[in-house]
Amino acid sequence: MDTKQLLTEVKARFNHNSAKAYLKDKYESKLCVADQGGLWKITPELISAVNGLSTDTVVLLDNYGNPVKVNRANLLLKLEKTYNDVMEQWHSEWATLEKAR
Amino acid sequence: MGYTRESTMSKGVLLFAFNSDTVDYMAMAVATAKRANQYLNLPVTVVTDESTDMSNYDYKFDQVLRQTADKTNYTIEDNVWINKGRFNAYNLTPYDETLLIDTDYLINSDTLLKPFELYDDFMCHNRTSYLMIPDHSQEQMSDHSFPTLWATVIYFKKTSRTKSIFECMQMVQENYMHYQQLYNMTVPSFRNDFALTIAVRIVHGQTEDVSVYIPWNLVHVGKNTQVYRESDTKYTILYDNWKYGKIKKEYMIVEGTDFHMMNKKNFMELI
Repeated sequence: MDTKQLLTEVKARFNHNSAKAYLKDKYESKLCVADQGGLWKITPELISAVNGLSTDTVVLLDNYGNPVKVNRANLLLKLEKTYNDVMEQWHSEWATLEKAR
Repeated sequence: MGYTRESTMSKGVLLFAFNSDTVDYMAMAVATAKRANQYLNLPVTVVTDESTDMSNYDYKFDQVLRQTADKTNYTIEDNVWINKGRFNAYNLTPYDETLLIDTDYLINSDTLLKPFELYDDFMCHNRTSYLMIPDHSQEQMSDHSFPTLWATVIYFKKTSRTKSIFECMQMVQENYMHYQQLYNMTVPSFRNDFALTIAVRIVHGQTEDVSVYIPWNLVHVGKNTQVYRESDTKYTILYDNWKYGKIKKEYMIVEGTDFHMMNKKNFMELI
């Protein structure tokens, strides 16, 4: 018996909340990056903050509360690229899972 | 302490596998080692006892290290859980940087390579989540003690701090009854998770050092949950959800995510 047949036989229901929580776990790990001596959990707020500052170098608190002096442009590039890549994957997998409902 | 670095030090995975009468832990270690090779591209060393005949297994480990099995843990229905001696990982590992992983951890991605990029000497999980149980609470070592740290995945490099943590785990294991009473633990058997939790706190002066925490959740597959393989990294998770005295079957599909399987029988079915 394959899994699809099994799910039909036992009348299993797709659990939307569990799938959502699983995706959050999966992609949050991918949103952690190390760069320029700091560990960064990428959020829109962090990207906005880095983008909104104007100096070439800036001191930011990393994930562990350590002040880290970074090249702003280089950090922004890495944050934006990783964020876009990961969120695209997250969205794509979410869309696939939604179809399973 | 820097968090990013290019390293030329040797890296590898260390597994502990002591077969019991009911569970073939070496078969699980072989499966985990193959996946560590495939997804992490790391060599794997296994620690086992003299009685394990490696010719029964179709895999060549980087190294096979022999240790006398400590069978003194609390037993349930004559099944011995041989989990003691994990503190030996520090002295036994042949690598400069080591991922110490439980044999029932199913690797489906390269996520575990991140600690090699991020951290200097010691990392473990402090938070967990359960597939199909999104609101599951975090485990406490006991009612009035600390949140449990998890020995399922430990990254470490040989430093004085790491050495102290493993030596402390040894001390806790050797005086476990004392610590059980001290922290009012209700679980009768020795758990490496608890030894690790106590050891990390002692080494950090009973304060919390957040830099030892892996910054994402350890994903468990718990009880009442069955895993079915769809492809090499894709699984259907079927869960018996008790509601109003009835079981409701629920499922979801996961892909490319690592998880820790508490159900050894189910793990064996997947490998």
